[in-house]
Amino acid sequence: MTENRFVLYMLAPAAIFLALLVAYPVALLVYNSFFKVELIAPDVRAWVGLENYVEAVTSSRVRESALRTLQYTCFALLFELVFGFCAALLFNAIANTSRWHRTIFALPLMVPPIVAGLLWRFLLIGDIGILNYGLVSLGLIDSPDAIRWLSDEDIVIYAVSFADIWLTTSFVALVSYAGLTNIPRELLEAARIDGANALKRFWHVTLPMMRPVLAVVVIVRGVDAAKTFDLIWIQTQGGPRHQSEVFSMNIYQRMVRYGDLGEASASATLFLIVMILLAVVAYWKIWRPSND
Amino acid sequence: MIERKKRDLGGTVINIFALLLVLSYAVPYVYLLMTALKPAADVQQIPPSFFPNRITLENFRTVLATPSLPAAFANSLLVAVLTTVLSLVLAVPAAYVATQYRRSFTTFFLLFALVTRMVPAVSLGVPLFTLLKSIGLLDTTLGLVLAHTSTAVPLALLLMAAFFEGLPKELEEAARMDGCTRFQAFVKIILPVMRSGIAVTALFSFIASWNEFLYALLLTSEKGKTAPIVIAEYNSVYGLAWGPMTAAAVLYSLPVILITLLLQKQIIGGLTFGAVKG
Repeated sequence: MTENRFVLYMLAPAAIFLALLVAYPVALLVYNSFFKVELIAPDVRAWVGLENYVEAVTSSRVRESALRTLQYTCFALLFELVFGFCAALLFNAIANTSRWHRTIFALPLMVPPIVAGLLWRFLLIGDIGILNYGLVSLGLIDSPDAIRWLSDEDIVIYAVSFADIWLTTSFVALVSYAGLTNIPRELLEAARIDGANALKRFWHVTLPMMRPVLAVVVIVRGVDAAKTFDLIWIQTQGGPRHQSEVFSMNIYQRMVRYGDLGEASASATLFLIVMILLAVVAYWKIWRPSND
Repeated sequence: MIERKKRDLGGTVINIFALLLVLSYAVPYVYLLMTALKPAADVQQIPPSFFPNRITLENFRTVLATPSLPAAFANSLLVAVLTTVLSLVLAVPAAYVATQYRRSFTTFFLLFALVTRMVPAVSLGVPLFTLLKSIGLLDTTLGLVLAHTSTAVPLALLLMAAFFEGLPKELEEAARMDGCTRFQAFVKIILPVMRSGIAVTALFSFIASWNEFLYALLLTSEKGKTAPIVIAEYNSVYGLAWGPMTAAAVLYSLPVILITLLLQKQIIGGLTFGAVKG
């Protein structure tokens, strides 16, 4: 068998599968986005051009859900990064004894998102949520119903991200820890001999060396957080009054509840384009230097 | 002497700090476990208590007696196993040639897989719904397996590509000298060498499918329902049945936690590897 033929045979099954179950559906998605079409009868369709897109961009509910996705992503990402990176620094400081710490810390990573969402709903919910009782006993709030995490319209989009933060901080910590252990000891030692204190060593040696690792974490986690559906769905189903409805949920609702396949497709296409653009730009920026 | 003491003290403080941090992350899950072990009447007592007054398996019995849940667990298991097998069969040979026999189209192929990882599930879910409906696979195990595999293949491809990258080309050449065809060399020599990488990839595909929610919600309604869907239904259909719900959540998350604790080194390795490389 010639080399080319061998490569082709080995690659073809995966390529055909991805063409049929990824490329074709995506093409179908884009195609559907130009029609007025109902979910119950997808064969009956009317060409409407860009109307679905206009509808999507001008609808305040869509715009708000897109903005909320951004709020959610930034908030979750910020806390995951800070907590995760600090944890990694801590583990690195006690490198020899941190094995068990790291194992227990990784526990949330193994918890299915749906369970994490359920769990946090239980921790935060109205009058039986134990978090508020904890805050009362610490003297931080006056009564257990002082903060209605999941039913206060102003804070719900941040409250639903607690589960995300809990679930994935350990991911940030593990990846950062791996990055920290790869920093050559001589470099830190040299800085110490030059008289740099701990803070200066961190700022001038550790942080610059960690830049690529942190950049990858931000992309991977940022993309995932922007796609979040299950965690929020199980906590609030997007409520109260759509105040925790993120973009993916908005698309789901418009398709399943309102059966509007055309509009759902237009939004989903926009979502896809934005995510791919973000990812490509980010990967290009990060992958390029190491590849050549 | 004083310097030494100061450093020891610093070390102790850091250790205590790390321990507190780690425990605070474990607390929510332990609370879930404790709640599942409480008598149903105590689950929503006010004020809530962290530990149960009396340990009982009542909630677990209730859950297992609900016919929909064991069936959903069986479905989840079947879907996850089939997804894992299918995605390995497709991704492992492809990742092998894409890294060992570089061509412009193999590079393009890997890039396509990379971009696919960024596709929001809901964007793919919308057309998959109409597609599966038109071929009559909506609400079937096979339909869900195909949907899960569409996200598992890119993931497996990137992970396996990262593993294959470290493979010396001489291995295959030596096998070819001994009279193997390219395909024989791949099956008899390369696959056994790569078994730990394949195992990690299999585990990731399995966990991803086992945990998946959105496709299951979108593409199944009755027969094909998986465990997370049924657990989520406890949330709405049965009102506030927190006792059984927490018990179901524990049962559902325990297999993955146990597997991970057993294979923690490989998994944590694969996780960081996959993130940094993929």
